[in-house]
Amino acid sequence: MPNLDGGHYFFTAIVPIKNDVVVAHEGLRSSPVHMVREALETLPTALQSPEAVKVGIQSPFARSLRTHFARLVVLDQPFFNGRDHSDAVADALRGTDLLAPQANDVLACPYLLVMIDFDPEGSDPARHYCEELWTLMPRELKAVFRYCYGFPAVRDAKTFADFLLPCQVETTMPFNDYWVGAPALPTLSRWWLIAPPALGVALPLLAALLHRVSWPAGLILALVLGLAGLAVDYGIVMRRGARPLPAAPDATLRHVLKALCLQQAFTRFAVAQQGAAPQARGAAFREFLAAHRPADLDGPTQAPGVISASVISASAVGASVVGS
Amino acid sequence: MTTLLDLADIQGGILRAYGRQGFPKARAFFLTLRGDGAAGRAFVEALRPRVTTAARWRDPHRGEALLRTRAPRLKDVARAEDEDDYPGEVTLVKPTVTLNLAFTFYGLLALGVPIRTLRGMPDEFIDGMAQRAEILGDDPFLDTRDVVWRDSAGENRVHILVMLNAQMNPDGTPVAELEMETTRLRDLCAASGGHVVLLSGTGPDGADFQEMSAVLRPGEHGLAPTNKEHFGLSDGFGDPVFEGQFPPALEALRVIGGGKLMSDQTWAPLATGEFLLGYPDEAQEIPGAAMPIEFSRNGTFMAYRKLHENVASFATYLRDQAQTYAALHGIPQAEAEAILRAKLVGRWEDGIPLQAAPTHADWLAFQEELAQAKAAKDKPRLAALALRYTDFTYRDDLAGTTCPVAAHMRRANPRDMLDPHVTDPDPTRGDGSALVNRRRILRRGLPYGGPSQGGSGTDSGEQGIIFLAICASLFRQFEFVQQQWMQYGLDFDAGSDTCPVIGNHPKGDPHHEPKLVIAVEPGGGRRPYICSAIPQLVEPRGGDYFFMPSMTALRLIGTGITDPT
Repeated sequence: MPNLDGGHYFFTAIVPIKNDVVVAHEGLRSSPVHMVREALETLPTALQSPEAVKVGIQSPFARSLRTHFARLVVLDQPFFNGRDHSDAVADALRGTDLLAPQANDVLACPYLLVMIDFDPEGSDPARHYCEELWTLMPRELKAVFRYCYGFPAVRDAKTFADFLLPCQVETTMPFNDYWVGAPALPTLSRWWLIAPPALGVALPLLAALLHRVSWPAGLILALVLGLAGLAVDYGIVMRRGARPLPAAPDATLRHVLKALCLQQAFTRFAVAQQGAAPQARGAAFREFLAAHRPADLDGPTQAPGVISASVISASAVGASVVGS
Repeated sequence: MTTLLDLADIQGGILRAYGRQGFPKARAFFLTLRGDGAAGRAFVEALRPRVTTAARWRDPHRGEALLRTRAPRLKDVARAEDEDDYPGEVTLVKPTVTLNLAFTFYGLLALGVPIRTLRGMPDEFIDGMAQRAEILGDDPFLDTRDVVWRDSAGENRVHILVMLNAQMNPDGTPVAELEMETTRLRDLCAASGGHVVLLSGTGPDGADFQEMSAVLRPGEHGLAPTNKEHFGLSDGFGDPVFEGQFPPALEALRVIGGGKLMSDQTWAPLATGEFLLGYPDEAQEIPGAAMPIEFSRNGTFMAYRKLHENVASFATYLRDQAQTYAALHGIPQAEAEAILRAKLVGRWEDGIPLQAAPTHADWLAFQEELAQAKAAKDKPRLAALALRYTDFTYRDDLAGTTCPVAAHMRRANPRDMLDPHVTDPDPTRGDGSALVNRRRILRRGLPYGGPSQGGSGTDSGEQGIIFLAICASLFRQFEFVQQQWMQYGLDFDAGSDTCPVIGNHPKGDPHHEPKLVIAVEPGGGRRPYICSAIPQLVEPRGGDYFFMPSMTALRLIGTGITDPT
C-alpha cells in the first residue's frame, strides 16, 4: 500500500473540472478551468524564498501542523507528440495510409491534480486529513475546487472529504524525503528462498531413487514442484515488497520543524562558543538546553511554511489567521 | 479523435464570423503603448472582463424566420430539422457589442511579455506585414497606405488592435452601445496618462478608428445586411470547417464542401491545429509554439488587411469586355456581364458556384428552383440546394471549362485539383484535398465605406473590404495562398497570370499583361475567350499581423506573470 509509506501518507487525487458551462466570477465570464487557474495563481506560496518573505502572505497550508508538501496542478490534455515513428518500407508493404490521422488520447475535461504528503492520523488517515484541512482553510479550498464536478454538494468538512476521496488514485511512487541513511529493513534469508524450489526438485527425485515412483513421473514431478517452489518465492518477495517502508525516526512535521529550529540555534551557539573555556562552554550549553528544550516539540520551534526560524513575525500573522 | 474545445477560453472572433451572426457593424481601433508597459497591462486588465469569447450564448431573437436571406444557410437547414445549432447549458445572452483584442509582436514586447516566450514566436509575425510586402505583393502600394500604417514605427508602432462588432438598428445605423464602447475606450486611453495612445490615421479623413459595415439592402423591417461586397459579389461561402468548431449535428452538414476531401471522396473536418495553437494539425503533430504552452494554446494568428476596391474600374472593365464577349457569342450585354463576372470569381453574383450551375441558363434554373422551394417551404429540397453552394469538386472540370482554373475562388481553395492522382478514373485512388489541407484560412472581416457610408463609388472613394485571415501559421497558410496562388499562376498552369480579382495587374510589361483565359469544351463549336488587360481592381491600404491570445494568455499578459519562474 504505497499511499502510506515511510510513516507518511502520500495523497494523490485527480479532480475533474467542469467544461460544459460558462461561469461568472468577479466581473469576468469565462471557463471554469480559467477560474481554477486564477485561484491557483493567487494562492500564496509558503514563505520559502526571500521574495515570498518580502510579500509576507503565508500559504494557507501552513496552518496545518501535519502537511509536509502540497502541490496543485491543472492537467489540460495529454500532449500529442505526433504520429508514431514507423518503418517506411514496412508501411509501404502494409499499405498504411499515412494521410489517415492516427488516434491520439484526449481527456474529456481538464483535471486538477492534488498531491499532498502529510502525517497520518486515525484509522482512515485520508479522510481524517481532508476533514482537518477543510476546518483550516475552507475559503481557499472553495476558491480552488468550486468549479469541479461534485463540489456543489460540499457544505462542511465531512462532505468535502466525501467529494475529494472518490477522486483519489493510488500513489505508486512515493518519495521518502526524510530517510538520511538506509532503514534497517529485515532481509530475507537466502536459505529460506532456496528451500522451496530445492525441496520441490529434490523430493520427487529422492522418491524415484527409492523406487516409490517411476523415473519419468519423478522427473515430471520435480519440474512441476520446482516451478511451484519458485512461485512460492515470488509470492514471498512480492508480499515483503508491498510492506510499507518503516517510518523514519522523528519525521513528523513537528519533529522536522523542531530539528530545523535546533539546527539554526545550535549553529549560532557553536559560532559563539569558539575558543571559549570548557567550563564556560559547559554552562552555556546547559543554558542552551534549557532555552531550546530539544525534546519538547511544543517548545521553541519553527513555524510551518517559513524558510528560517527568524521569519517568525510573518508566520505569526498566519497563526493569527488560524485563530480568527 | 474528438476535440472538445474550451469555448470560453477562445476569443469569439476566431470561431464566429460576426458579420454573418448579427453583428454587421464594426470598428477597429489601433493603439500604441509608451512607457514601461505597466499602463498597457492595466489597459488589458481593464478590457479583459469585456472580451467576447466563443462560449455559446442564447440569442433573444432565436425565433427568427427560416430563410430570411436570399440564399438558404446550412444553419437554417439544421434548425428546420430541429437540430440545436448551439446545444448545451447556456448562461450567456448574445451581446449587442462584442469586443476582441489582438497584439502585434512589438505590442507583446511593449507589454513586457518575457523574451523566453517571445522567442518562440514565428518569424513572419515578428516581421509584421510591412516587412513582408514583397512576399505579399504589397510593395507597389506601400506609399498609398493609410497614415496609421505608413507611420507604424517607433513610438507610433501599432501595438494593440481592439475590435468592436455591433448589432444594427432597423435604419441601418449601429446600436448606441457601439458609441458608448468607443467612448469608454477613449476614456481608458485618456486615463493612462499618455501611455496608451489611440492612433488616428485610418482612411483619408484621418479617423481614429476603421469603420466597417455590411452592405445593406432594403428588407422586410428596414435595412438588412447582405453578404455582398462593393463589386456586387456575394462572399463568405467557402470557410473551412475544423474539428470542435461546431456541434456534431451541424458539423455533419457544414463539413460537406467546407472540410477536407478524403481519399474515399467523403468530407471530414480539418484538424483543429490548423486554426488554433496547441492542437494536432494536418501533419498529425502539435507544431512548436511560444512557451509556456498555456500562452499559445487556444490562441491563433490573424492578418488584418484593408483592401481598397476600384469599383468604377471593375464596372467599366466588365462593361467593355462584355461588349466584345456578347458580340462574339451573340448574347445580350447583361448576360455577357453576368457570365464574365462569374468566370472571374467562380461563383455567380449571388454566390451559386459555377460548378453547380455551369451556364447562364443553369443559373436561372437554379434560382427558379430555389424560389419554388422557398415558396413551398420544401425543407428537404432547400437542404439539398443549400449544400450545392459548397458541395463540389474539380475532378470533372480539370480543364476549367466550367470554372476557370485561375478564377479567384478556385485559386483560394483548389480542393482536389492539385491531387496528383486526380486524373485516375477511380476517384477513391486519389489523395483528396491532401495538398490543400495545410493552406486553409478562416476569413473574417466586413466591407467598409461605399455609397451607404458616404463613399462615391468611384475608384478614388473610400470603399473595400477589411479582410481578416485567421490561421495557426501566417507563413504556411495566409502568405502561401497570397503569394503562390493569388500572385502567381504556376500551380494552375496559368503562367504568370495573377488572380483576376485581388492579384496585382501591373501595366506596361507585355510579358506580364494580366489576363484570364475562359476555356471552353473542345469541339463544342465555341471559342475560348481571353479577358485581357485587367486593371488593378484591389489595392492594399495597409494592415499588420496580430496574435489573438486565449483568455488564459490575456490574463498572463495583463497580470504580467507569463513566466512565474
